Amino acid sequence: MEFIFGQLAGFGMAFATLVSDPWTYVYLITSVFLGITFGALPGLTATLAVTILTGFFGNKIPLDYALIALLGAYVGAIYGGSYPSILLNIPGTAASAATAMDGYPLAKQGRGAEALGLTTTASFIGTLVGTVALLIFVWVLLLISKNIASPEKALLALFGILLSGTLMSADLAIKGWIAGLIGLALAMVGMDPILSEARYTFGWSYLLSGIAVVPVLMGAFAVPQIIEGMRHVRAGRVAELNGRILPNMTAMRRYLPTIGRSGVIGTGVGALPGVGEDVAGWVSYGVGKSVSEEGDSFGKGSLEGLLCSETANNACIGGALIPLLVLGIPGSPPAAALMGAFKINNVIPGPTIDPEIILRVVAIMVLASFTMFVLGLFTARIFIKVLRIPQTVFLPLVMVLTTIGSFSVGGGLNDLYLMLGVGLVAYVMNLLCYPIAPLVIGVILGGMFDETFRRSLLLSDGDLSVFVSRPGAALLLTLIIALILGQMPGAKRAIRRLKGRTT
Amino acid sequence: MDNSPDTAAQDIARLRARDFWSALALIVLALFFLWKTLDIPLGGGNGAGVNNADWYTSAAIVPLGLFGALLVLALVLLAISIRSGGAAQALSAAGLGWSASEVWRFVAVALMLLAYIAGLVPRVDFILASALLITALIASFHGRPEPRPLLPLLAIAGAALVALTMHFPRAEWARHGDDWVALALLVALTLWHQATGPRGTALRLTPVLAIGVPLLLICAMAFGFRQNVPNRGGLIFAKIEYGYYVHLRPIWRS
Repeated sequence: MEFIFGQLAGFGMAFATLVSDPWTYVYLITSVFLGITFGALPGLTATLAVTILTGFFGNKIPLDYALIALLGAYVGAIYGGSYPSILLNIPGTAASAATAMDGYPLAKQGRGAEALGLTTTASFIGTLVGTVALLIFVWVLLLISKNIASPEKALLALFGILLSGTLMSADLAIKGWIAGLIGLALAMVGMDPILSEARYTFGWSYLLSGIAVVPVLMGAFAVPQIIEGMRHVRAGRVAELNGRILPNMTAMRRYLPTIGRSGVIGTGVGALPGVGEDVAGWVSYGVGKSVSEEGDSFGKGSLEGLLCSETANNACIGGALIPLLVLGIPGSPPAAALMGAFKINNVIPGPTIDPEIILRVVAIMVLASFTMFVLGLFTARIFIKVLRIPQTVFLPLVMVLTTIGSFSVGGGLNDLYLMLGVGLVAYVMNLLCYPIAPLVIGVILGGMFDETFRRSLLLSDGDLSVFVSRPGAALLLTLIIALILGQMPGAKRAIRRLKGRTT
Repeated sequence: MDNSPDTAAQDIARLRARDFWSALALIVLALFFLWKTLDIPLGGGNGAGVNNADWYTSAAIVPLGLFGALLVLALVLLAISIRSGGAAQALSAAGLGWSASEVWRFVAVALMLLAYIAGLVPRVDFILASALLITALIASFHGRPEPRPLLPLLAIAGAALVALTMHFPRAEWARHGDDWVALALLVALTLWHQATGPRGTALRLTPVLAIGVPLLLICAMAFGFRQNVPNRGGLIFAKIEYGYYVHLRPIWRS
């Protein structure tokens, strides 16, 4: 009990500090507004919003304010994606893809304002559910993580990359794993962390310090988006919006259990390493469709379907921050960009993280969700106007924004060359249906994997049993093997047979 | 959107044909890096003054595992592709996947970005370089029934080539000859776009956005965030910086 009161008091202090600082509002309102705008523009994603702001604010203002800007943009962008999903039938972000299933039919029925009012409220509640889970589970995991040593860390990094590869791949899981391995391989460039041996630098001194995370993020997420946006011009007609955008309290009360369930699903999916808001939205939508009495009306303009995806994708944010803060493993692609901001500020998320930072993150999340709710209700018409800006006009501006952001983080021109190289490779990978998120997670976790894997072997004098002799390591290794075996054709057939018998 | 089973089957067939090529590329990549990894001592050597006599402390151990795993996965992908008929389709139009116009559009965007990052940003004033890129991209792709990227590509590639040939060494990056060429090409491209582009707000706003956005960004970065910005000695930015430090800043400093 004392622990709970202690945490609540800590949160209260962090919240009061934030609320009493006028600069909080400057950063918060600006970043949430920018985030919603990014989310609302089809072709720009939440990851891109956080990545670009990392380039701008990452190391230029104190970390406390940088976190406000980045988390505000994250929360705003995930919510903002619902605008084009509902009004254009084009998901603004991958996270809102499931929202379009019911949002657009509702808009066509002349209920677009009602749909937007509901998504605003659902996103607000979803973010709060994820934040409460973050406040509770981060401490539980921190206690557990005290027992995590090098073997567990190495296996956890590997598990995160493989899981992200499996779940984020739209085609074969093996392609996700290949993307993850390419990311890990990129992280091997530069001086190795134990012996300072130069690896794969090809005589380029810039590479001695390793591959910088921010240019990789910019290249992987911004450049393919820009090329794709210019290659395929997507045009849509904004559906007419009648009436005021207000929360429908009757519907909210009626679907409260759905909102609660979707919040829990979103948080849970977010807590899985490297799995983003899009998966959360679809999983919640799928579960809702199968358990709801109104499942048949999903896809035809169901309010419940809309609430399932929108609550889950925002709840995913809090969930994604849990492994990021406790283990240093990003729970989603935008969280990977946040990890980049931590790295350039020399803050190492993990078991040794300053608890003040965690409490501050929670307080920022609460404030950001309130700001998003207020902006969503009162300035929605501005974001609807934003939808009319053609992507062939704003994407060139994003390229310039990305260039100067990447340049100013530290590496200068070399960072730009790296960004462009990674961007072109990522674009080709996108075309070939290789997911990009595992690659980025691989780059971020590669250093940790290399160091902890070799340290484990060093401490055990090369005895590989160190990866099975500790209970946590054995469990993680079992999960990794199960994950790989689960994708084998024989195992897939057996699972299908088993499913057939149970249904 | 056509979601018929036939279309889905065609998409899968095209993907498997592309997988054939990507698996081959990955095999070559994995073998190359496995060979490069052999340069790193695997035991019995001294690295950076530290005795790394055992294999498990070697800096090569993790990369060997990674590239070995990459090779195995690429071989599995190749096998999947061959079994699904990807190899048979690999050289057909379906295997290559793109129409000529799509390839042209991609090549044009990629070359514009390359010219901007590799040629213009280091050597030409950032405001001019970015204005040229923005104008070129909008003029090529916005609102036209068929994209017309040839002339804009020639303008931006021409500016980049001039910059690279006139002032290739780092010591010459602050010179302004290439800036004047970029400015002339920007004016010419803007006039062409205004004359031939589709009427509308975007056309009228293009010059404002092309100059205004980079101007705002570079000033915010240089004077707001006090960050390094590309090519400080550029034609326009050098004047802005001079005006800021000599005329404006002393006003509030005093």
